[in-house]
Amino acid sequence: MKRGIIALLVVAILLAGAVTAERAMQGIDRQDPLGRHLLYLPSPEMLRLASLGNPGLVADVLYLWAIQYYAQYQPHDRFLYLEPIFNLITDLDPRYDDAYRIGALIMELPVTEEAKNKAAVIRLFDKALRNMPGNYEIAEAAGWDMYIRYRDKAEAIRYFEAAAAMPGAPHRLERFLGVWREQGEGWSFDDALAYWREVRDEAESRYDRTMSERQIYRLYAGHDEERLDPMLKRWSTRHGSCPSSWQPLVDAGWLDEVPKDYFGHPYRILPDSCSTMGQDEAHVN
Amino acid sequence: MRSIRVIAANTFREAVRDRVLYLFLGFATLLLASSKLFGMLTVGDQSKILKDMGLGGIQFFTMLIAVMMSVLLISREIDSRTVYFILAKPIRRWQFLLGKYVGLLATVLVNLALMTFMLLLFVWAYGGGFDPRLMLATGMIGVEMALLVAFATLFAVLTRPILGSVFTLAVFVVGHVSEDLWLLTRHLPGSIGRGVVTVLYYLVPNLERFNFKTEVVHGLPIPVTAVLWAVLYGVLFTALVLFLACLRFGRRDLK
Repeated sequence: MKRGIIALLVVAILLAGAVTAERAMQGIDRQDPLGRHLLYLPSPEMLRLASLGNPGLVADVLYLWAIQYYAQYQPHDRFLYLEPIFNLITDLDPRYDDAYRIGALIMELPVTEEAKNKAAVIRLFDKALRNMPGNYEIAEAAGWDMYIRYRDKAEAIRYFEAAAAMPGAPHRLERFLGVWREQGEGWSFDDALAYWREVRDEAESRYDRTMSERQIYRLYAGHDEERLDPMLKRWSTRHGSCPSSWQPLVDAGWLDEVPKDYFGHPYRILPDSCSTMGQDEAHVN
Repeated sequence: MRSIRVIAANTFREAVRDRVLYLFLGFATLLLASSKLFGMLTVGDQSKILKDMGLGGIQFFTMLIAVMMSVLLISREIDSRTVYFILAKPIRRWQFLLGKYVGLLATVLVNLALMTFMLLLFVWAYGGGFDPRLMLATGMIGVEMALLVAFATLFAVLTRPILGSVFTLAVFVVGHVSEDLWLLTRHLPGSIGRGVVTVLYYLVPNLERFNFKTEVVHGLPIPVTAVLWAVLYGVLFTALVLFLACLRFGRRDLK
């Protein structure tokens, strides 16, 4: 009995000592100036061998570690190893969707010069597309990242083109692609019209067809406004006021008929700005 | 055939009574249950982590059960000399060994089935849905383990228990990296070196042939022919190793 109590006491004292030491170590702030944990990062080939047929599991462990490690956001040199680490994870599991997306997201943190991060993000997404050629979701994510984070429409268009060309890709990708192309590349009216007509004709859902129709409506409206607005300004200057309808312009021979929008409704005239507005424009916007 | 069945049933009963088995099974359950915790740490698809950890854990613990139990149970019979009593009856040595093998394999497969059921349950409970393809991955682990138990049986009649366990473990490790032996042949100068490595490659079982975990986890297509050829490869290699074990055991001096 006595020996038992002594043994229990010894165990309790040793355990308390170990717990105290551990707590003391937790309080010590240790620097990791060069990411010493990462200096001996093994090669993917070695890790693949060591995983004994479980490279996916090793990739999971590395990925979990990486997101914990980089979650403690600090502008720190350790971010220098970010690309090799996510390359390692995606070499071990080339189809690790989350690793590409989250890796790119972490790389987008403004810890080092922007351009460098962007190049790394593009490299990671390109690698994802090489490893998962049919995954339109990753290409779509890459496109949005380029568009929102870097305002790089050329890269965004490149990724969206890749995404839209993949089998099973939703129609919305083509819609965004069209919008970005119009903004980024300044398409001609005919180019844009041909594109949106094609999108509309190939649309598989009613929603996509409606959205494409609206794009066509907008195109026509924009095109007509370019022609009609200067005419209204000229009329206003000549007559001292903006016309309340198109009829005076038709009567004066300036127009053959009352101008109509894509859906066949006459354009309205906004008296305040003396400009053209389609009947359905409020809807479209 | 009856002799093999009786010995197999006894071996299974003996294995099931062993506490080591439950220790491994307990650890495997703990790993499967805790995989949810790892899943919670991730950003993105939790079920991938669950499946990766589950399949990896199942392979690891089934391998431990196969290695430890096989070598221990056969060596115990020889060391404790109970084998004399059995062989004094109208049972041939190869029948004894095959009975042992079948009993051990049944133990391993029952454990594998239990762990697979738990994995399916955990994946389903944690929102990953019912994924029947996980059974294919664990089924192929079963084929791999059948081969490994055969190796354990061979080493049990060839050497001491500890060495036998180490050798079987080595077969598991080498079997998973043997494909690199094949790759090595491309870098070796001269036809002799290349020939030696090629022979070595074919002598060592390529356990990666039974590995369909990545395809299952990522939902990739699995060619039926790949599965069928892998099963055939496993059966033939297992038969070869068992044949060698029976040959050796038939000539072994048990005194």
